[in-house]
Amino acid sequence: MRTILILIKKEFLQVFRNPLLMSILIVAPMVQFMIFPFCADYEIKVLDIAFIDHDGSRITQDIIHSFDASDIFVSHGIIQNKKDAEKMIQHDKIDILVEFPNQFEEDLMNGEATRIAITANAINTTKAGIGVGYTQEIIGGYMQKFQEDNMFIASEEQIPARLNLSYIYWYNEQMNYKNLIVPGILVILVTLIGCYVTALNLVREKEIGTIEQVNVTPIRRWQFLIGKMIPFWILGMVEFIMGLFIMKLVFGITVQGSIPMLLGITAIYLLVMLGLGFFISSVSENQLQAMFIVLFLFIIFVLLSGLFTPTEGMPQWAHYTNYLNPMSFYMEVIKKVVLKGSAFVSVQTETIVLSVMAVIVNTGAILSYQEKSK
Amino acid sequence: MAALTIQKVNKVYNKTVHALQDITFEIQEGELFGLVGPDGAGKSTLFNILTTLLLPDSGDIQILGMDLINDYKQVRQEIGYLPGTFSLYPDLSVKENLDFFAVMYKSDIEANMDLIRPIWRQIEPFSKRKAGKLSGGMKQKLALCCALIHRPKILFLDEPTTGVDPVSRKEFWEILQTIRTQGITVLVSTPYMDEATLCDRIALIQNGKILGIDTPEAIIEHFKGTLYTFKSANIFSLLEALKRCPLQCNYYPYGEHCHIAFYEDMETAMPQFLQFLEDNQQEHGDIEPIRPSIEDCFIEIVKMNRHE
Repeated sequence: MRTILILIKKEFLQVFRNPLLMSILIVAPMVQFMIFPFCADYEIKVLDIAFIDHDGSRITQDIIHSFDASDIFVSHGIIQNKKDAEKMIQHDKIDILVEFPNQFEEDLMNGEATRIAITANAINTTKAGIGVGYTQEIIGGYMQKFQEDNMFIASEEQIPARLNLSYIYWYNEQMNYKNLIVPGILVILVTLIGCYVTALNLVREKEIGTIEQVNVTPIRRWQFLIGKMIPFWILGMVEFIMGLFIMKLVFGITVQGSIPMLLGITAIYLLVMLGLGFFISSVSENQLQAMFIVLFLFIIFVLLSGLFTPTEGMPQWAHYTNYLNPMSFYMEVIKKVVLKGSAFVSVQTETIVLSVMAVIVNTGAILSYQEKSK
Repeated sequence: MAALTIQKVNKVYNKTVHALQDITFEIQEGELFGLVGPDGAGKSTLFNILTTLLLPDSGDIQILGMDLINDYKQVRQEIGYLPGTFSLYPDLSVKENLDFFAVMYKSDIEANMDLIRPIWRQIEPFSKRKAGKLSGGMKQKLALCCALIHRPKILFLDEPTTGVDPVSRKEFWEILQTIRTQGITVLVSTPYMDEATLCDRIALIQNGKILGIDTPEAIIEHFKGTLYTFKSANIFSLLEALKRCPLQCNYYPYGEHCHIAFYEDMETAMPQFLQFLEDNQQEHGDIEPIRPSIEDCFIEIVKMNRHE
């Protein structure tokens, strides 16, 4: 017991005396929290639009003006030449181009079929899709109003049935991407502290040779690993709690579910990550190697975890791979508990899986830690 | 009684590098034993094996009546190890390092203070300083304190004086002598031949083989040739010329002198040698007979081994 206590004390002394590590532990997560959610944002805030008007009638003018009323669209007005308009799309000056044909008003008044061409720059497919949708919505809205105002020109049966789609986004009512990204960052933070910092710490002892000096003492390897784990486990929990505070204070996201339960599952997840960190450090010769392995795993974990893209859209093999990805289970837990306020029943599978992973990874870490080399 | 018995220990790295070949020797209790050899001779490999950090490929090692390989846990409690490179925590203070290793060995600083006091007294004024900020000599003394804090029965020191200034080296060897008086068996390795004479017995090691084991005096006693030293204006041209020397001799630069060991009857050989130098237009200072040093002996033994 005395042995483990002095190992923990030693680790904390070293952490607090390492200015670089301290700033990584405190400043980096804060900065990440403050910057990342604002960048990783799928919301379309601005759409640049321009028009080609071959008709030049009152109706087309009205439609064009109706875009001015929108918060999202920035109108670049009417372009005379189609070539110029295409160039603008190529140069990324406009996202959407709306083209009214000849005799648009006339055909409309006569009740004949007429077409509006909507061209979108699909380099960013999300933006193009959303842009075309918004454009259709505005034009459709205008047409509906127009038809209602001009009942005389259309017979009863020509009026399309009024169908209003209204969206309600559950658990994220404003469809605010921050609500998804911020808890995701919390996951990344805990993962980084757990895996990265511990892997680098142990490998550094290898590099400066202190591990040999410790290995010639009668201390047992599990004692050594526990003495290493507890300090970083505490640090990880402190980081997580700090993250929860930032989430509340800066982004106004309150944990919907039970906080003690969230802390409990985070503690288990941290154990998985700590064990993984130690495993990596025992197979690495130096900090550089350890860093590459962590980075490699980390990117796979993040991409598969469903933080940036929904897991539902992934191919089957990705789903299977995800069964090995502790981060995806933990991400599920965070989403469910933080946003939905789920009770333990709905996260118990994830908790069990993470616990099993913790046992396996840590056993592997202890076994792979060589106190004697061959 | 033998504190350490090593029998036929072999270690091969990567299936090609034969780091240790049939190493066999004994160290008596209370002995100050020196392992002398150039870089790459296998000294550190042997130390890593003896300190339970590395497993030998074959061979048997008995340490204080225990089997080194099977009873390594008990062995660790009884040995102290000072590695070749400074490997204490540079970001912990002097005192914190000592405390840390005392607990690691389940030992008590106060109880063993009498053993380390002579060394500790010198570093105590810096006890709050970070170990990484100490001077080289001070680091070494701290490392020694940490290696002795559990009162080991055998102390292993891997090149403790490599890269240390002459004054600190001398001081360090004085400390080793006092440690020995406490009944601790000491095994020390060094590339410096002059330090070898300070040991009770030495083993000469090269290319993973023990070339000879004896007291320094006996090793010098067994020098086979007749050794002379002289100065030359141009050592390089002298050495070139000596390649053509018909006499049975072994020559090498030694500091600013040239040492030459003859394996001939000197009454007839010396005039021949002088004639040879004259014929080859080599200017030289007085050629004086000299008592061989350990280094001379080492060179001779290496040479003889090569011829065998």
